[in-house]
Amino acid sequence: MKYVRWNGATLALLVSSIIFSTSCSKQLSPSQPIYKRYELNATVAEDSTVLAIYTPYKKKLESSMNEVIGYSPVYLTKGSTAETLMGNFFCDALLAMGKKIDPEVQLSFGTKGGIRTEIKKGDVTVGHVFEVMPFENSLTILTLSGEQILNLANFIAKTGGQPIAGMRMEIKADKAQRIELAGQPLDLSKSYKLVTYDYLANGGDNLNALNNPLKRADFPEKVRESLMTYIKELTKNKQPINTQLDGRVKIID
Amino acid sequence: MEELKSLTRRNFIKKTAAFSALAAFSGSPLTALAARESIKLTILHTNDVHSRIEPFPMDGGRYQGLAGVARRSTLINQIRAQEEHVLLVDAGDMFQGTPYFNLFEGKLELDLMSKLGYEAGTFGNHEFDNGLTGLAKHLSHANFPFLTSNYDFTGTLLAGKTKEYTIIRKGGLKIGLFGLGIDINGLVDPNSFKGMKYLDPLPIANRLAKELKEKHRCDLVICLSHLGYSYKDDKISDLVLAAKSAHIDFIIGGHTHTFLPEPTKVVNLQGKDTYVNQVGFGGINLGRIDITFDPKSGKKQIMASTHEINNSIEATKLA
Repeated sequence: MKYVRWNGATLALLVSSIIFSTSCSKQLSPSQPIYKRYELNATVAEDSTVLAIYTPYKKKLESSMNEVIGYSPVYLTKGSTAETLMGNFFCDALLAMGKKIDPEVQLSFGTKGGIRTEIKKGDVTVGHVFEVMPFENSLTILTLSGEQILNLANFIAKTGGQPIAGMRMEIKADKAQRIELAGQPLDLSKSYKLVTYDYLANGGDNLNALNNPLKRADFPEKVRESLMTYIKELTKNKQPINTQLDGRVKIID
Repeated sequence: MEELKSLTRRNFIKKTAAFSALAAFSGSPLTALAARESIKLTILHTNDVHSRIEPFPMDGGRYQGLAGVARRSTLINQIRAQEEHVLLVDAGDMFQGTPYFNLFEGKLELDLMSKLGYEAGTFGNHEFDNGLTGLAKHLSHANFPFLTSNYDFTGTLLAGKTKEYTIIRKGGLKIGLFGLGIDINGLVDPNSFKGMKYLDPLPIANRLAKELKEKHRCDLVICLSHLGYSYKDDKISDLVLAAKSAHIDFIIGGHTHTFLPEPTKVVNLQGKDTYVNQVGFGGINLGRIDITFDPKSGKKQIMASTHEINNSIEATKLA
């Protein structure tokens, strides 16, 4: 019993000394930091206990993602140029699918930031399309006035070019000019139907040009599903993804 | 009495454990001695891993064959075996970018981060991609806190599920951490964060950093930030934050996927150095910062910094 009490007292003493030393301690000052950046490449072995956690998920995922749905003979790249192969592909697909829902749809619009990755030359799988468009966004068709199309074109100009289809334009000094739809110059007195997706129609990417459309119709079809349908249809018609750069958005010095 | 007995019994067990811990360390008294002179902290960090569970596929892409959470685990374990005081943190956008997120909604990412021993994280804009409901759904899979100092979740599903700041102790060091998120208006569908309030990060950073340094007497203050490294305009970024704040030692950043070859040194409001770092995205890199703390004077300070070891030594001696 004596032993126990002695022990307790010691402990109390210790605790108080720790508190004392902590409260009286000066803060420490750090030295110049030394920095190192490791690249995680094949020289680093994989931790088998981590592999064991994700392998069941990987198997499940692979069975659904590895299905080949098409072929791209070129590397569809993104980038900071006014017009990109990836942007053209994305908007061509969006326009084709939008027209299926409403044949009056004339143009499509996306943003560079919304297209998340590139499509490399070769087989295109379900997984690739997921990486291009991982978001759960769905198609929206907006009816816009000619004036609103002009605003959109100016947004595209100001941001150095954005993905479009069904419209051609030039950018000069951050302003849009020579805007053409279906071979005709933009008519400010007319209205146009544009297909995009809900995120952008809701004002995403700080886009205000699509606010207050004359009409808005939301559809349940996801952008990702639309891209897949577009690729599958090309494949069915024995066509590869035949995206080209065609000068739809040009910067004029 | 019964209670006292069990209490003392517990103490006894504690001491036995302390004794065996001492025995385990007895081969390296130099470690303890060295720690009296200085303490080394190793901070390991990632940002914008974007559901990159496996390495980038071998498809001709720029980053093919790089990254992978199983490799990161090996590397972290190696460093932990070499260094006594390791802190592992993430600066947000853990989610979105591979089908792992689309299919499993972030559960796997959080399970793996917990397994790797992350000690704190913050929310990037993509954490909201499945809405607050989606984010709340698997959050319990993280065994570490998320620091969201400038997101007010009051009245939402996430209320009380994140922290404003945390203090982590390593070998007697007190490390204060808080987290800042980007203004998600315009980045995330408004329906995906309905009810959450974005608060101006700068005053919050200054209040918390001061509190952590002065009130909580932290030896080091780290801000986990998803504000982005820098912008063309004067929008708040890590560089702006570093220059316009005081008391922050490190800003571990994300969002802009910036590959910094080394941390950027910024002179803060106090005229002291604040370091900003960011390591690209996808888990291609693991950042490591080693800081040595040199006690300026006095044994008390050393006691405090090594009190765990001292405690065990004293306790066994007296027992």
